[in-house]
Order: sequence, then C-alpha cells, then structure tokens
Amino acid sequence: MVSTGLLTQTLINGLLLAGIYMAVGVGFSLIFGVLEIIDFAVGQYVMVGAFAGAALAPILGSEALLAVPFVFAAFFVVGVFVQPLIHHVTTGDRPMPLLMGLVFTFGLARFIRGSVLTIAGPNSRDVPTSIAVGSFSIPSIGTFPMVRVATALFGVAALAGFLYYLYRTEGGTAIRSVAEDRDISRLMGVNINRYQSLSYGAYAAMTASAGVFIGMVYSASVGMGMQYTGFAFFMIVLAGMGYLPGIILSGLVLGIVQSLTAVYLGSEYVFFILFGLIWVLLLVRPTGLLGKGEVA
Amino acid sequence: MSDTDSKTTRDRFRLLLDQANNRVVAGGLIVVLLLLPAALNAFWTRIAVGALMWIGLAQSWNMIGGYAGYLDFGHGAYFGIGAFAAGITMTTYGLPFIAGLSVAAIVCAIVALGVGIPTLRLKGAYFAIATWAFAESMHELALILDITGGTFGMSLPTGADAIILPLSGPPTEMFFYYVMLALAVGTTVLAYVLFERSEFGFRVKAIRDNEDAAQTLGINAERIKRQVYVLSCSIAGLFGAANAFYITFIHPNDVLASILTDQMIIMALLGGLGTIAGPIVGGISIFMLDRMSSLFLGTSTLYLPMIGLLIMLTVLFAPSGIIGILRGEVGLTEIKDNVSELADKFNFTR
Repeated sequence: MVSTGLLTQTLINGLLLAGIYMAVGVGFSLIFGVLEIIDFAVGQYVMVGAFAGAALAPILGSEALLAVPFVFAAFFVVGVFVQPLIHHVTTGDRPMPLLMGLVFTFGLARFIRGSVLTIAGPNSRDVPTSIAVGSFSIPSIGTFPMVRVATALFGVAALAGFLYYLYRTEGGTAIRSVAEDRDISRLMGVNINRYQSLSYGAYAAMTASAGVFIGMVYSASVGMGMQYTGFAFFMIVLAGMGYLPGIILSGLVLGIVQSLTAVYLGSEYVFFILFGLIWVLLLVRPTGLLGKGEVA
Repeated sequence: MSDTDSKTTRDRFRLLLDQANNRVVAGGLIVVLLLLPAALNAFWTRIAVGALMWIGLAQSWNMIGGYAGYLDFGHGAYFGIGAFAAGITMTTYGLPFIAGLSVAAIVCAIVALGVGIPTLRLKGAYFAIATWAFAESMHELALILDITGGTFGMSLPTGADAIILPLSGPPTEMFFYYVMLALAVGTTVLAYVLFERSEFGFRVKAIRDNEDAAQTLGINAERIKRQVYVLSCSIAGLFGAANAFYITFIHPNDVLASILTDQMIIMALLGGLGTIAGPIVGGISIFMLDRMSSLFLGTSTLYLPMIGLLIMLTVLFAPSGIIGILRGEVGLTEIKDNVSELADKFNFTR
C-alpha cells in the first residue's frame, strides 16, 4: 500500500531539492559549452562551499545565510584564476588536449578533496542557520521545511539570473558565442580570455554558494563532493550536453528520482539507480531527453 | 645519394644496437628481479610486492588510456571485480588460488565485453563519464549484495590448501613476490609486443590519433578498441585477485575505491602516456611517494592532495611525463615557453 500522504510529501521534497540541483547543473553545463571540458571538480566546489559556510557561520552569528555573499565573491575570484590553467591544458600543441583537460580537473578535484580532508578532518560539520527548524504546512498537501524552501528559492533565483545574463545581455551573448566557436568569436573581437574566465568564475561562485545551502539542509562532509559530481553528470547527460534550458527538466527529474528512491527503496540504492540511468541514457539517447545536446 | 645511403645504414645499425641494448637491459633487470628477494628483508619485500602490483596496474591502464586514448575513469572497478570473483571462487567453492586467478580474469573479460560494447561507442568525455559511473555503481552494488559480504567485506582462506602447488605452510611474502613479478613482467612484455612490435599496435595508435581517419583506412576501430579494453580490464582483474589472496580481507571500500583508478592514471601519466617505460617509472615513483608519505607523515592525509597537485602540474608542464623529460622532449626551454604561454592566458585585458 502506498500512502498518498507520503507520496505527496516525497514529491514535495523532490521538487524542493530540484531547485538547488538546477543551480549546480546550469554552471556545469555552461562551462562544458564554453571551455569544452567536463569539470570533475564540480562536486568539490559544492563540498568546499559547505565547509566555508560551516567555518564562516560562527563569525556571522551562527547564520550561514549571511556567508553566501562572501562565499560567492571568494569563489568567483578563485574560479577566474583557475580557468586560465584549464584553458592552457586544453589548447596548444600537446597530445590529446581535451583528454588532458579532463585529467586536469580530475587532479583538481582530488586536490580540493584531499586538502579539505587534511585541514578539516574526516568528521562532518553542521552549517548552522536560524531557519533550520522552521516550517510551514499546507493542509492536505504537506509540510514545507523553511530551509529547503530557501534552498529551492536560491536555486531558482540563481538559475534565472544566470539564464537572464546569458540570453539577454551583451556579456551573455559573448559567452554563448565563445561556446559556439572560440576562434570565430576571437575574430569578431570577443575577448575570449576574459569571458572564459568570467564564465568559470560565475560557475565556481554559484556552485560553492549552492554548497552553503546544501550544507544547511544536510551537513558539510568531505565525502559529499563525489555525489554532486555524479548528480551534475546525470543532469547534463539528461539535459543534453551544452543545452542549458534542459537543466530545468533534468533538475526536476533528478530531485524526484532521488527522493522517491530514497523513500521507497532505501538511500543506498540512489547511486546505483542514477548511474544505471546515466549509463542507459548515454547509450540510448546521448543527445539528452530533449534531443538538443551535442552528439558524442 | 651515397650520403643518404650511409646515413640509413648507420641509423639502422644504431637501431639494432639500441634494440640489443634494450634486450640486454631488460634481461639483466629480470635476472636482478628474480634474485632480489634474497637480498630483501620482510619489510622491503612487502614494498617490492606493492610496487610490482602498481607497475602492472598502471601498465594495464596505459593500454586503454595511453595507447588507445580512451580515458577509463573506472578501471579500478575491475580490480575490485577480480578481487571478489577470486574471493568467491576460493571461499564459497573452496577452489585453489590458481582457479581464483583464472575466474577473475574470465569474469572481468565478460563484464568488460558487456560494458565495452556500448560504452566504447562514446568518445572523450562521454566514455570517461560512463566508465566512472560504472565503477561507482559497482562500488554501490558490492555494498548491497550478499555474495560479496556487503558492508562486512569478505575474508579469504589463508591456508596452504588454497594453493595448487604443494607448499609447506601458508603462502609467504616470497610467494606473492613471485606471483606479482610474473604478472607485472607478463603484462609489460605483452604490452611491449602488442603495442610496440606488432601491426596491432599501429592500428591502436592510429585510432588514438584520429579515429575517423583510421576507419577510412579500413581499420575496424570498434573491434580493436573492444579487444584493448577487454585485455586491459582482465589484467586489472588478475592483479585484483592476486592482491585479494595477498591481503586476505577484502572490502568494497578498499578494493573498489576510486583512489585505485586515480593512482593508475597518475602513474601512467607521470611516467609518460603511451609508452612502455612510462608506467614502470611512474608506478615506482608514485608508489614510493605513497609509502614514504605514510612513513614520514604517519596517518596524515597529506598524500591525497599531493597526488592531485602532481596530476595538475604534470598536465600543465610536462604532459609527456618523466619519459618525455628523459628523452629530451621536455626541457628547460619547453617549460619556460610553457610558463610564459600560461602567463599570457592570465592577461584578461586582451
């Protein structure tokens, strides 16, 4: 017997998670388009963001929400200076440049993870916030925990801001042109160094800020990064590689699949099901559910 | 005319000399390795066993990653599958070690065939993701299944009856030294013959350098990639099986950990991708770095970020690895050029 109450509550939780997944997925998808690399470090930015929230909150009166702007600014700067390194390994006359980019971010991910493990130790930490306990409920539908609502709102706002910038401003047009064709953009007078760095900075900032929220919902732990790398992969494969609006759909699918699996099968099956789905999807429909991504 | 002729003769002579030299060096090395345990105490034998295993694993990753250019980010999964295949053969069915080894290789080959047929159609990042996802789901699966012992792990028999050869007692350190030596040397010789001394190797490299062009020339890329993948994966399985019997207790968090794949990649990369000597040099360097760090840093996790940093630096400044430096492909001038080119990328005003 499946109780309807549990099912709706599970779906609500899934939808609320979807918002934050979109925020992680959209940046990841963007830099795949602009830099033509799969960034293995994506989950590690989430993890570092959560730890940064945990470290900053005590200074800011146990309110991690206030840490978000600081984390955003700090990781924007970090991203701007990491990007030239990635650009360097993916261009020039080295053998297998794209694969080298992949290996580089793989190393970056290990570096971030190992550093946090060495500095902060293996124990997980709480990311304190005043909205952690609050919730409101709508009769006959379900409860909405405040922290999850705030997280979903941040995710949707970040996604909207990102898409607005990309599709409605001159800078966004430049970034999309770089994603389309780096060399032609350069010939058209687009400063590719600047816009590529800007994209990576925005991506790192947004992913780390999302990490603060994810830390508020769960907690900050060193092992969490890998999971979000997996989620980000899942989302861009589902959305179609490089097709940004597809992230909305794939974020929703991920949120719902994850909470349904966790409730009805057990959380130890979440990965197995997600990875199974990635695998089948890559084989059956590599251009994504909407069929608008780049072909493998 | 005569000038070019004499040049080619001289070149040919030099090549012959090089080959003869290589053979003498390789032969001498093998003799030294065969006699080595006599000179080593238990501690150093243990180090040598580990180093041999990692050379072999790096060599097996290099086959698909370095020679075929398909970055397998889930190669460690086969190490774990081999370990559990051997474990189940030896505990549940009570068969000897040699049967465990064979079953591990066969199971890994079958799994690799099943995984490889569809995923090898994917290129670049897609292949990397698919194999990574495969490895992670294998880790999850081993934690869920009963047959692998789930979260409790699995213990292997330590008794001498687990061996087909009559031994006077439980297998010694020395026994594992020779098992790993045979596997590592076998893998290296196989890689050398297949990829450096046969037409097959040229086909594989052609696929790496330009798959479409290779196919246009009549190379059956699908089949060759599959062969390389299955071969490299079953070798990883062999090492997994030997290691399982060696350490006698296997747990999914150890034998299916993602750090295994990481180490194979950095060993092949640091040594030099797509070379025979690369995984040997890289394997020894990284393994010694690992051991030394645990010796000097104790239980510190500093080794993990160091591996990450080393991967980044290698890719940035010496993409052809230590072998590239030794061959003179990467010298001081190249690194200087590289640095100034990199500095140029930091100029955001232009």
